[in-house]
Amino acid sequence: MLVTIDGHDVEVSPGATVLQAIHALGREVPTLCYDRRQDPFGACRACLVGAEGAPGPIPACTTPCRDGMRIDTQDPTARRVVTAVVELVLSELPDPPGEHTELGALARQLGIRTLRWSGHVHERRRDERHPYLVFQHELCISCGRCVRACDEVQGAFALTATGRGFDANVTAGLDAGFLDSTCVSCGACADTCPTDAITEVTLLNLSDTA
Amino acid sequence: MSKNLVELVRRHHAAQAPTALEVLKAAMEHRGEITDEDRRIAAEASGLPEAAVYGVSTFYDDLLQPRGKRHIRVCTGTACFAATGDAHVDELRQALGLEFGQRSDDRAVSLAETVCLGFCHSSPAVRDGDIVDAGPGVLDRVLSGTSRAAPEPEWSSVLDRPVLTRPGDWSGLARAIAELDPEELLQEVKAANLRGRGGAGFPAGTKWEFTRAAQGEQKFIVANGDEGDPGSYIDKYLMERNPALVLEGMALAAYAVGASHGFVLCRSEYPRSKPALEAAALAARAAGWLGEDIGGSGFSFDVTVLEGAGSYVVGEETALLACVEGRRGTVSARPPFPAVRGLYGMPTVVNNTETLGNVPFIAREGAEAYRALSPDGTPGTKLVCFNERFTRPGVYEVRFGTPLRQLCEELAGGMVDGREIKALQIGGPLGGILPGWRLDVPFDFDPLASEGCMVGHGGILAFDDSTNMRSVARHLLRFGAHESCGKCFPCRIGLRRAYEMFSTEQPVERARLEPLLETLELGSLCAHGGGMPAPLRSLLKHFPEELRVS
Repeated sequence: MLVTIDGHDVEVSPGATVLQAIHALGREVPTLCYDRRQDPFGACRACLVGAEGAPGPIPACTTPCRDGMRIDTQDPTARRVVTAVVELVLSELPDPPGEHTELGALARQLGIRTLRWSGHVHERRRDERHPYLVFQHELCISCGRCVRACDEVQGAFALTATGRGFDANVTAGLDAGFLDSTCVSCGACADTCPTDAITEVTLLNLSDTA
Repeated sequence: MSKNLVELVRRHHAAQAPTALEVLKAAMEHRGEITDEDRRIAAEASGLPEAAVYGVSTFYDDLLQPRGKRHIRVCTGTACFAATGDAHVDELRQALGLEFGQRSDDRAVSLAETVCLGFCHSSPAVRDGDIVDAGPGVLDRVLSGTSRAAPEPEWSSVLDRPVLTRPGDWSGLARAIAELDPEELLQEVKAANLRGRGGAGFPAGTKWEFTRAAQGEQKFIVANGDEGDPGSYIDKYLMERNPALVLEGMALAAYAVGASHGFVLCRSEYPRSKPALEAAALAARAAGWLGEDIGGSGFSFDVTVLEGAGSYVVGEETALLACVEGRRGTVSARPPFPAVRGLYGMPTVVNNTETLGNVPFIAREGAEAYRALSPDGTPGTKLVCFNERFTRPGVYEVRFGTPLRQLCEELAGGMVDGREIKALQIGGPLGGILPGWRLDVPFDFDPLASEGCMVGHGGILAFDDSTNMRSVARHLLRFGAHESCGKCFPCRIGLRRAYEMFSTEQPVERARLEPLLETLELGSLCAHGGGMPAPLRSLLKHFPEELRVS
């Protein structure tokens, strides 16, 4: 089927998502909860785009393509909502994200310098007992990528989403840290984390000395 | 949620294993708290990994608030708020010397918050153990240890031949299996234009058609009895006073789509619902209406009744299915729709209990008779209910298209104590707020939508003229933030920020509020975050001075 992205036609197979069509053209839209190795999740809403005829922006990652669909990745409403969503995410962290992280890069790309909303932030909580992995819970934005990497890619089921609402977070095992969980130290969670909430110790050491 | 996890729970379910949520709920009932040992046992029994069980145990309200020998749950729903402005909550907290989620050191008493016990006709309501007491004098009785069961609400119908207040007698199923093949029943429901009564109004026949066409080794019917809307006790009435009608509707849905098993998920806030449904199912099995080869037709169907554990968003269909599977009740992006990939990955019809309650009439009388019931509006009838501020609160079966003023003044008798209706919230917390001077609108989907309101699930909740509308905004946003499932970012963070804006006495900057409301409306994954701005928008429009937004 044929889909038009920002005026450019692209042929996609049935079942392809709008985000896959955008990627097939070599284009990008912001994402935070998306990892192409995992099933789409639809949580972060950073990939909202305009679709002709739709009542509002649509999430590119979970929307299947329809033949003849016309997508506008620069739709002003979608861009406005995405910027607000990223501001909200930044507002839940006690410190700005590292510049090298995906979240830090996205904030720069969207030109976010000040936050319109502030309030309660995540409490600092650090688990450093594991020899290779460090968990900084206050940096978690509940994108679910680590949990899905552990479930879908590694099959270790060591991680889970916890809590609900603003207090949602992620933890290992029965909340006693990586060491006391079924973690196999593969590092897939740290690899996919967009905020450095989960990092490999070596990388953390490097950034500490930098 | 990963397909791997769903497959894990499916295999264990097929082997008759309990869900993790069932095991955790039992541990809570037994011990009053949940330990890691309970979580390990739940993981072992259910097949859910330990980490995922931990996630479940931190999601549901019922699993988070420790219980003493005497566990007191105070209702913080909107009807109780409209009755006392939360004075009952503060009084109980002070008298017990406990905050929400606290247990006395000797483990004698614990206090918890619960959002809507469904005794909105007699607020405020307090649940003391399994006794729900409500109305005048409730706090004195609870504090003196003399709680007594509050009277259940009255119900009646304005119709000579009711659809939903007629006791279920299985005559619809009897006619269907004798005279209609499944496709004919499906077409009858489509022709009746039965719209979902849970809030969204989606055509039930279309949902059924998708499920019927979907491929799957097994298909399921799930009745959504998770009536979370504060101020609504319609499903409570159906599940507790007319459960056979709900079960008959499920059996008819199953017959039409080719399903073999059904689940009812009722709320734990309604301790009488599950026993009433189970008793009705037992009677139906004895009479041959549930089980194998019903009426010699070759059609077999049975039901399992489950109870939730305290979460509003579990009323959303994908979250509901996660809860039935015993997982965290978070929302999943659609597609895939439950009709194609639902419970345990199988094609599933999810209908509200009231929606299902309409089906026996359609099966017995036909689509034409059904459409004739509300000549001025949407086909069929609707159950509505009124809060304690009305003179005659209760459950009423009414015709669509009836002017709201007629419902409020003639049926429910207007406000008590000579008060005036300041505003109504119709159809739950995601519904807009209609000021008291605009009651001439017909009660139906389109007319209410043009007022920024909705039919929703049919609760009609009045705030009287003593209510401060900024405190209404704060009350609703506190509920919204507390109940956000935490999955999508706009709702998870945005509702918290919106609540924070209204939780002080400071004026709210419109320049910060408007983009936040837009982000919630357009960005949220489900109707919870998407719908919470609706009451805010109507409050901003009709009561701008009281809201102090500038």
